[in-house]
Amino acid sequence: MKKHWLIGGTAGVLALAGLAFMRVQDAQQAANAESPDTYPSGQPIAFPHNIHAGSQPGQNRMDCMYCHFSAERSVDAGLPPMSLCVGCHQVIPGTTNPQEVQKLMDYWKRKEPIPWVRIYKVADHVHYPHARHIKAGLQCQQCHGQVQEMTVINKIDPAWGGHNMGWCISCHREKGASTDCAVCHY
Amino acid sequence: MTDGIKRRDFLKVLGVTGAGATLAGCSTKPAERLLPYLTMPEDITPGVATWYTTVCEGCQAQCGMWVRTREGRAVKVEGNPNHPVSGGALCSKGHATLQQLYNPDRYAGPMVRENGALRPATWEEAETLLSQRIQSAAGNALFVSGHMGPTMTRLVDQFVGAVGGRRVQYDALSEAPLREAMRIAFGVDALPKYDIAGARLLLSFGNDFIGSGASPVEYGRDFSRMSAVDEHGSKGRFVFLGPRLSVTGLNADQWVPIKPGGEASVALAMANIIAGDSGAAGPYDAVLRAFDPRTTAQAAGVSEDDIRDLADRFKNEGPSLALGPGMGAHHRNATAANLAVLILNAVAGNVGRTISLDGGPTQAARPYADVEGAIGAMAGGQVGVVMVHGANPAFTLPSGSGFNDAFGSVGFKVSFAQAPDETSAMADLILPDNHFLESWGDSEPRPGLMTLRQPVMLPVPHFQSKHTGDVLLSVGKRLGHDLGGATFYEYLRAAHEDLHTPAMGEFETAWQDALKKGLVQHDVAPMHADAQLRAPDAALTFDAPALDGDGDLTLLVYPSPRFGAGEFANSPWMLELPDPVSKITWHSWLEINPETADARGLENGAFVTVTSPYGSLTVPVWRYPGIREDAVALAMGAGHTDYGRYANGNGVNAMELLPAVSEQPSGALVTIATKVTIVPTGGGRRLATVEGSNGSQEGRPIAPAVALASLTPGAGHEPADEKGLKELQGVGGFVPVDAQGGTPEAFPLQGSRHAPYDKPEETARWAMAIDLDKCTGCSACVTACQSENNVPFVGEDQVLMGREMHWMRIERYYEKVDATAASDLDVRFLPMLCQQCGNAPCEPVCPVFATYSTPEGVNAQIYNRCVGTRYCANNCPYKVRVFNWYRFTDAIPEPLNWQFNPDCTVRDNGVMEKCSFCMQRVREAENRVALEDRGSIPGDGEVLMACQQSCPAEAIVWGNIRDPNSRVARVSANQRTYRVLNEEINTQPAVNYLKKVTFHEVEAEG
Repeated sequence: MKKHWLIGGTAGVLALAGLAFMRVQDAQQAANAESPDTYPSGQPIAFPHNIHAGSQPGQNRMDCMYCHFSAERSVDAGLPPMSLCVGCHQVIPGTTNPQEVQKLMDYWKRKEPIPWVRIYKVADHVHYPHARHIKAGLQCQQCHGQVQEMTVINKIDPAWGGHNMGWCISCHREKGASTDCAVCHY
Repeated sequence: MTDGIKRRDFLKVLGVTGAGATLAGCSTKPAERLLPYLTMPEDITPGVATWYTTVCEGCQAQCGMWVRTREGRAVKVEGNPNHPVSGGALCSKGHATLQQLYNPDRYAGPMVRENGALRPATWEEAETLLSQRIQSAAGNALFVSGHMGPTMTRLVDQFVGAVGGRRVQYDALSEAPLREAMRIAFGVDALPKYDIAGARLLLSFGNDFIGSGASPVEYGRDFSRMSAVDEHGSKGRFVFLGPRLSVTGLNADQWVPIKPGGEASVALAMANIIAGDSGAAGPYDAVLRAFDPRTTAQAAGVSEDDIRDLADRFKNEGPSLALGPGMGAHHRNATAANLAVLILNAVAGNVGRTISLDGGPTQAARPYADVEGAIGAMAGGQVGVVMVHGANPAFTLPSGSGFNDAFGSVGFKVSFAQAPDETSAMADLILPDNHFLESWGDSEPRPGLMTLRQPVMLPVPHFQSKHTGDVLLSVGKRLGHDLGGATFYEYLRAAHEDLHTPAMGEFETAWQDALKKGLVQHDVAPMHADAQLRAPDAALTFDAPALDGDGDLTLLVYPSPRFGAGEFANSPWMLELPDPVSKITWHSWLEINPETADARGLENGAFVTVTSPYGSLTVPVWRYPGIREDAVALAMGAGHTDYGRYANGNGVNAMELLPAVSEQPSGALVTIATKVTIVPTGGGRRLATVEGSNGSQEGRPIAPAVALASLTPGAGHEPADEKGLKELQGVGGFVPVDAQGGTPEAFPLQGSRHAPYDKPEETARWAMAIDLDKCTGCSACVTACQSENNVPFVGEDQVLMGREMHWMRIERYYEKVDATAASDLDVRFLPMLCQQCGNAPCEPVCPVFATYSTPEGVNAQIYNRCVGTRYCANNCPYKVRVFNWYRFTDAIPEPLNWQFNPDCTVRDNGVMEKCSFCMQRVREAENRVALEDRGSIPGDGEVLMACQQSCPAEAIVWGNIRDPNSRVARVSANQRTYRVLNEEINTQPAVNYLKKVTFHEVEAEG
C-alpha cells in the first residue's frame, strides 16, 4: 500500500496543521498521565514496596534480594517470577489491600504475566552490571532511594539523579572506581 | 521499505509535529512494560547467558555446536570445543544458520492449496488432509529427503514402509563419485578419512576442502596445522592441481594449472612414475602404464618435468596425501578421477597412513541418479503423494532433469520446507518444519560419533512450525500405525536407549551427560584397515571427459562457499559476506582470466551472455588471474525466484547452463559438463566488491612474507628497523611519540596524549596476534564478528557506495599467480580489523573525544559521544572504521532482529563504529572474576574474541600481552612478527601479525 501523506496545496497544509494539533494534544495527555500525582494508576497492581520490605511495625522486612535475586549475580536486577509472589500470597491473602492481592491471583490463574510499568531504565548505550555494584558494597537504596519506605515507587526520587551521567561519575570518583568511558559504554 | 510513506514526506511531517512536540515538552511514547516470568525456568538467570549443545545442520559436515541463549532466545552460535569435527570453530554458514532460524520469510504455519492459491490452515486440518491423501495414494508415496540424522532417517523409512512407498535421498552437493571410487578400489562403501594434518606434502586435484568441501571446519583446521610453519622451522607443502583456484587453491604453495578433467591422467602418470616396475598398483599396473608422463602432461596442459618432479616429491617428501576432486568438481569421468587419486595414494603407501578407509564422514554421498529414478516414477504417474523434506530440487537441479514437470504432475505434493523455496512454491500442502535450533535430533558425522541435537529455545513464536518427526508420528497414528513414540523426542530417546550398553552406566545419567557434552562416542571396530586395491568391476575411462557444445571456454560450476548449493541465499549475512575469492558481495559474477578478457575487450563488470547448449545467462565478468585462459567459472546458489526477500532476483542460477547428466558409474550430477561461448552485451555494471586495489599491495608492506630458508629456528622477535620512522619524526610526523621499544606491551607510550594512566603494570594491555601462515581466508571470522557485535548488513546499493559495515574483512593480495604453467603460487590473506593503535591517528581528530585509548590499550569508540563527523575514518590508515549512514539496524525486520546480542549496543544512524576487541566479552569476564574474587584481569584464555573462537585455522590469539606467559605474548615473540604499516606511520598497533612463510624467495619488502 502506497500512501502519499503530503499532497500539495491548501488541503495538505490544513491536514498537516490538524495532525500537528492532534499530536500536541496526545503529548499533553501523555504528560498528564505520567505526572507524579496520577502515576500509581499506571501500575496494573498497586504493589507497596514498604509493606514488603519496610521495617516499621506491620511491615515485613524482606531483603531486596529475596525477590530481585539476580541483582547479585547478573547485570540485571530482574523481576521476581510470579510464582514467587504466589508462593507467599496463596497463604497470605493480604491485610492492607486484599483486592490487589486478588488481582495477582487472577493474573496467575489466567497464566498471564503482570504488565508492570517500567520505572528505572538506563539508556541502551549504558551497561550497568548490578552484581558488580553490589559486590562493591553499594546498597540498593543508594541508587533507588528508600524503596522500603515507598508505597509507590517514584522515579522522581532525588537519589536517582534523573538519568544523569554526572551522578554516576561523582560516585565512581568518590569510590575510586574507573571513570573510563568504555567501562559503561560499549 | 518501498511501502508506507516516503522518507522525504515523512521528514516534512516530522518537521511540523516535531515543533508541536517541543511545545508540549514531553514525548508521546507509551510507558515501557516489564513482563515477569510466571515461573522462572531453572536454568535461566536474567542477564546471564545459558548455553546449550547441539549440532549444526548447515551442511553435511555436522559440526558440534554451542548455542548462546539469553532469556530464551538464541543469539550466537559457536563451535563445541569437545566435538572432534568442529573443535570449537565454526564456518560462516554455520553462523548464518541463526539467520535461517529468524528468517522473516519463514512460513507462518501450515498452508493448503485451494483453487490454485495457498491459504493458511491449522495443523489438525493439514495432518488430516495428509493422512487422507496418503491413504488414497494406496502405497504410492515418495519421500524425497535431504541429509538427515540417523534417527530421523529411520523414522522416515519406517513411515514410508508403513504407509507404502519409498524414500529417496537427494544431496544437492554430493561425494558420490568418491564413494563409488572407494567401492571400486577397496570394496569399501564409505568415504575415506583424510589425515591432512599428518601430511607433509598435500596435493589437491581441484578439491575445495576449505571453502565448500565435505567438512570445511575440520579439514580447514587440519590444513592449517599441516601447512603452517612450526617452531622447528618445518612446514608442509601444498600443491593445487586444477583449472581454477578456489579459496583452497589460493592457499597453495604451487599451482599446477591442469586442464579441466585432466586430474585422472595426471594422477595416474604420477602413480606410474612412483610405482615403476614395483607392481605397487596391483591390478591397476596395466592402467598406469598407459599414462606416459610426456603425453599425459601435454594433454593436461603442463610440462613433463613438473609431473616428474611432483611424483618424485610425492614419493620422497612424505608422508604425502592427494585429494581427488571433491563435491564441487564432477565431470563425466569424476569417479575415474577419484579412483586415480586413490591409486596414486595407494602406490605412495598413503593408505593406512594419511588416508584411513574407516571413520570418514557418513553424510551426503547419495548420487543424483537416485533422484533421476524418482523423477521418472513421478513423470510416469506411479507416485500418488510426494513429500519433500530438507531439499530444494526445483532450484538445485538443471531444468533438463524434468523435475519440475514430473513433480508438478503428481496428484498431491507436500513440502516440509521451513521457508518458501522453489519446490514448496509448487506444493499443495506445506507443513513447515522446525528449524534445527528448535528441534530434537541427532547426527553421526563419523561412524560411532553420535551427536545430539536439542532445542535451544521454544519455536520462534512468529511461526507455527512443527517438527517433521512429530508430524510423521501423528499422521502415522491417524493411519493406524504406531511408529514407536507419541513425539519425536520419545522416539529419539528410545533409539538412543537401544544404542546404550550397560557398560556406559545408567541410561538417564548417560543421556543427560550426552546432552551436556553434545555427543556420545560409541566404539566402532575398524573394518577396512587392511583393505587392498581390487581389480575394477566397472568400466572406467581415465581420459579427459567429454564436454558438450562447441564453445571455446569450459564452464566450471562450483558450490559457493557462502550459499552452498543455494540454501543460504536468503541470509543477508551470507549475501553481504565478501566471497573469499572474488571479494564480491550480493550479486553473481563470471570468473574469467584477464588474458581471455583482454582478447575480448572485457573490463570488470562488463555484461556478457554466457551460452551453453542448454541455456544462456547474462552476468557481469570479474577478471581473475587464478583461472585458466580456456575456462570460465560461475558459482552455484544464486538466482532464486521463490526463496525470500533477500534472495529473490539476486544473481543468476548457474544450473540453467547445465544438462541433467549423471556421471557413470557413480550417478552424480555432472557440474563440469559443457563448453560455453561468451558474448559481450555492451553494457556493464559496477561490481559490489569490497576490494580496493585490485589484489595488489601497490608496493606497501601490508602483508609481507618471509622465505622458509631465511627463518632461524627458535629466534625471537626483533623490532623492525625504525629508520624510516625516525625520519618521519624528524620532520614532525603527525604525533611524534617516542617509539623506543615500541611493542604492544609498551603502553601507554611516553609522550602520547592519553598517558599517563595509573598503574599500567596492574592493568592488562589487550593485544592480538594473527598468524598469516595459518589464515586460509575462509572468512568465518567476518560472520562471527557480525553476529557477535550486531553489525548490520547494508544491501548491495550501499556496498556499491563503499558503505559496507563489517568490522573485520579479509584482504586478499596476489603476489605470484600464473595460470599458464606450473609455478610457485603466492597469494596473501590478511584479516584486517581495528588495530587498536597505541598512537591512534583517529583519536586526535575527533572533536568530541568519542574515540580514545582505554587504560587497557583498546581504542574505544563511545557511540553516545559520537556526532558523526567521520574525521576519524578519514584519518584511519587501515580503513577499519565504518559509518552508520542510515537506520540499518532499525530496518532489520522481525524476527531477524531477535538475533541481536543484548550485551552489545545496537548502533543507530550517524554513528561511527569499529572493532572494540569484543568489549562486551571482556567486561563480562571482568565482572565474573570480580564476583569470584579472582582479581581484576581475566585469566589467559578466559576471554575469546568472536573471530578467534570461530577461526578454523587457529590463526588468531588474543590476550594480555603485558603478561609474558600469555599465549599472545608467546606467539608474538617470533621473528615473523610485524605490525601493519607501523614502521611507516608509527601507529603502534596492538595487533601483531606473523608473516606468511613461503617456500620461494620473496623480496624483503614484499
